[in-house]
Amino acid sequence: MFSRSLKLSLLVGGALLTGACSNDDGGNTNLDSLDQQLVVNFADAVVVPTYNLLATRMVELDAAAQALKNAPSATTLKAAQDAWFAARVPWEQSEAFLFGPVDSYGWDPAMDSWPVNRTDLDAVLGNSDKLTQQYVSGLQETQKGYHTTEYLLFGEGQAKKPADFNARQFEYLLALTAELKTVSGNLASSWTTGVNGQSPYRDTLAKAGEAGNTVYPTVESGAQEMLGGVLTILDEVANGKIADPYDAKDPNLVESQFALNSLSDFTNNIRSVENVYLGHRPESEAKGLSMSDVVKERDAALDTRVKAEIAAAIAALGKVPEPFPVSIKDPASADKIEGAQAAIRKLHDTFQVNVKAVILN
Amino acid sequence: MRRVFGLGALLWLAGCGGKDTEAPEAPPRAGGDTTINDRTSRAFAQAAPNLSLEHEALHREGDAAFAAVFVPGPAPVNPGLGPAYNNTSCNGCHLRNGRGMPVMGGGPQRTQLLVRVSLPDGTPDHPNGAVPVPGLGLQIQDQAVYGASPEASVTLAWEEREGTYADGTAYGLRSPRITIVMPDGSAPPSNMRTSLRLPPPVVGLGLLEAVDVATLQALADPTDANSDGVSGRLNTVWDVQARALVPGRFGWKANSPNLRQQSAEAYFNDMGISSPLFPEADGTFELPLRTLDAAVFYAQSLGVPARTAMDDAAVKRGEAKFKDLGCVACHRDTLETGEHPVAELSHQRIHPYTDLLLHDMGAGLADGRPDGDATGNEWRTAPLWGLGLTQTILPYSSYLHDGRARTLEEAVLWHGGEAERAREGFRSLSASDRAALVRFLQSL
Repeated sequence: MFSRSLKLSLLVGGALLTGACSNDDGGNTNLDSLDQQLVVNFADAVVVPTYNLLATRMVELDAAAQALKNAPSATTLKAAQDAWFAARVPWEQSEAFLFGPVDSYGWDPAMDSWPVNRTDLDAVLGNSDKLTQQYVSGLQETQKGYHTTEYLLFGEGQAKKPADFNARQFEYLLALTAELKTVSGNLASSWTTGVNGQSPYRDTLAKAGEAGNTVYPTVESGAQEMLGGVLTILDEVANGKIADPYDAKDPNLVESQFALNSLSDFTNNIRSVENVYLGHRPESEAKGLSMSDVVKERDAALDTRVKAEIAAAIAALGKVPEPFPVSIKDPASADKIEGAQAAIRKLHDTFQVNVKAVILN
Repeated sequence: MRRVFGLGALLWLAGCGGKDTEAPEAPPRAGGDTTINDRTSRAFAQAAPNLSLEHEALHREGDAAFAAVFVPGPAPVNPGLGPAYNNTSCNGCHLRNGRGMPVMGGGPQRTQLLVRVSLPDGTPDHPNGAVPVPGLGLQIQDQAVYGASPEASVTLAWEEREGTYADGTAYGLRSPRITIVMPDGSAPPSNMRTSLRLPPPVVGLGLLEAVDVATLQALADPTDANSDGVSGRLNTVWDVQARALVPGRFGWKANSPNLRQQSAEAYFNDMGISSPLFPEADGTFELPLRTLDAAVFYAQSLGVPARTAMDDAAVKRGEAKFKDLGCVACHRDTLETGEHPVAELSHQRIHPYTDLLLHDMGAGLADGRPDGDATGNEWRTAPLWGLGLTQTILPYSSYLHDGRARTLEEAVLWHGGEAERAREGFRSLSASDRAALVRFLQSL
C-alpha cells in the first residue's frame, strides 16, 4: 500500500497549458503544472520514431523473406532470421506505450499474438488454398504475425535449415511478412498522417491540455499516460513474461521461444522504458523536455537513481543464462532469474511511488 | 494507481455513504472505495484500491484469464476455441476493458460487433428465453477455427440521415444495416429477429451486481404512476445456477442475472468455450471453474475512475442541464450497494448514472427483438461512469448498443420513447449549452 498524497495542485482540470513558456533546454520552473513540451517531445522523439522504425524494419523483413525464397541458403536464411530479430526490437521498444490506435484496428493482436495456433497453422500449410496476403490477413491472430513468422523461420529450437522450406511454407511466409509490412505501416501512419479519415494521433497526444482535447484534457493526463505505460510494461515483464513460465516451469509459456529471443524481448521492453524516461531513442540526441528533465529539476538524486535502476535492470537481465526456456527449469539459474525480477520490480516501484509523486505533484 | 493529483485529492477527503447530499466542492467518488484516479488508456484496467492482498492476487489471476487468447484444441496453452466463435479472448472484444469497435468481418480487425438472433415463435431453451434459430442459435458466430464453417457471414453497412437542432445547426445520424448470408449462400429465415451488439465496458460491474434488487424495485415505475413519462422495470431472466426466473441486470437488455452467468455466456457464445455453467452435450467442459471465477472476479474488482474537471464551469453547467432535462430520471447519479460476497463492493455509495431498468427508447433505437421481459423497444439504461474516457481507452470507438453513435451528441439524439422529452430538450438547447452538457458527460 502506498501513502495517499493529499497535496492539492493549484491547477484544476482545464487549460493547464503553459505552452508559451516552453524552451529548448526543458527549463520549467513552474512546479504546479507540467510543460506541454513533455508530451510533445515524447510523441515526436520517442513514439513516432519507434513506430517509423518498426515500419522500416518490417519492409526489410519482407525483403529478406523474399530473398530467402528466391535463393534458399544458409546465408539468406540467416539474413531473414536477423531481419526478424531486428524487426522485433522496435516493437518491444514500443511496449511502454501501448496506447492509442495500436488496438483500435486490431494491429497489436495481428502482429503479436501468442500462442501460435499450431493446429490451424499446420492445416493451412497442408491445404490447397491460395495463400495471399488477404487470405492471411483474415486468419486468426494466432496464425499470423511475429510468432507465426518466427516459427516458420526458426522452427522448433532454431532447428530450421534452408532445405526444410517447401514452396507452401514460402507462400505462407511471404503472405505473413507482407501483412506485417502493411499493418506496421498503418500503425505508423495512424500517428503521423492519420488513417481512415482520422487526424494524426501524434496531435492528440502532443496537444494534451489544449481546449477541445477530450482524449487528454490536461498535460497531466498525458503525463499520467506516459507513466502508466511504463508501470504496465515493468509489471508485465517481471510478473508476467518472466514469472508465468518461471513459476510454472513451463517452456510453452515463454514468448518468442522459437527464435530463443525472450531475454532480448525483455531487455528491449526495459529500453522502451528508458526511451520514455530520457525522451529520445538511443540513435538520436536528446532535444526536448523529458521526464528525466522534470525529475532532475525537482529531485536530482531521484533522477540519478532512476537511471541507475534502469541500467541495473538491463544488467540483471543480461546475467540470466540463455536459452530462457531451459533456464526457467534449471535450479542453477534461479538466482539470476529472480535477481532480474527483483531489479525490474525495484524500478517499477521507484516509478510508481517516487517518480509519479514528482511528475504529478 | 493510488496516486492523487489535482482535485482528485479531495476524493480521499470526501466521506462515503451516510450523506444525503454531496458537498458541492467534494467530488463524488464514482465507485466509492473502489475509486481510482486515472484518466488514461488504462483507466478501466486497474484493480480497485481497497482490495485485500488475497483479492489482489485473485484479481491478477483474473487479469491473465481476461487477456488469454484461446486456440483450438489440442494445444498446450489455452485450448478450447470454437469451432465457431466471434472472438478469441475477453480483451479481444473489450479492448482495454472498454468497448469494442463498431466493425464486422475482415482482417486485421477482428469482428467486434455481434448479432443476436431469435425467432418470434417456438420453444425457448429455458423459461422466458428467446427462441433459438436452427443452425444459428441465439447468436451468430461469424468466425470459425480451421476446418469448421462460420454459422453465417455478416456484413455491415451504415445508412446516414440528417437532422437539425432547434437553432438550425445540422447533424448527421447513422444506423446499421446488416446482411446475413448462411454458409450455403441462402438467406436466413425471413421472420428472424436480429440485434446488433457492441461490447460494453466492463468497469464497475461488481458494484452494479452489489446493488440490492429491492433498491432497483424501488426505482421501478412500470405504470408510470408519477406521470413523468418515464416508467422503468426490471427484466426477468433465467438463472442457470438457481434454475429459477430472477431479475436481470447485465447486458444491453439486462438479460443476464449475474456476472458469473454473463461471463460463462460470453465464453460459450463469443468464444465457443464450454464451462460448468454451459457444458458440452456430454457434460464435459473446457474452461476450469477456477478460471471462470477468476475472470468474473476480475470484472467485479476493477477500480472505477473518478470524475475529472469537476470544478470546470462548463462541466457544472452541463451537469445542471443534465438534471434539468430529466436525464437523471433513468441515468440515476447515485446508488447504494448492499451486501455482496466480495466485501470490498458492499455498502458503497456509487455514481454509475444508471437505474439498471428497462425503458422504451422509441422506434429509432428499437431492435424489435424481445429478450426475457424486455420488448423490442426496451433497453436497459446504460451506466455512464467512465464515459468521458471512451476515446482515450479506444480511439475511434463509438456509443450505444450497436455503436451507431460516433459522438456523445449523436448518442443523445438517438434517445426516443421515454427519453423523447429529454432528447427534445437537448435538441432545443443553445450550442453553448449543448457543448456544456457534453463536457459534463466527458467529465464522467
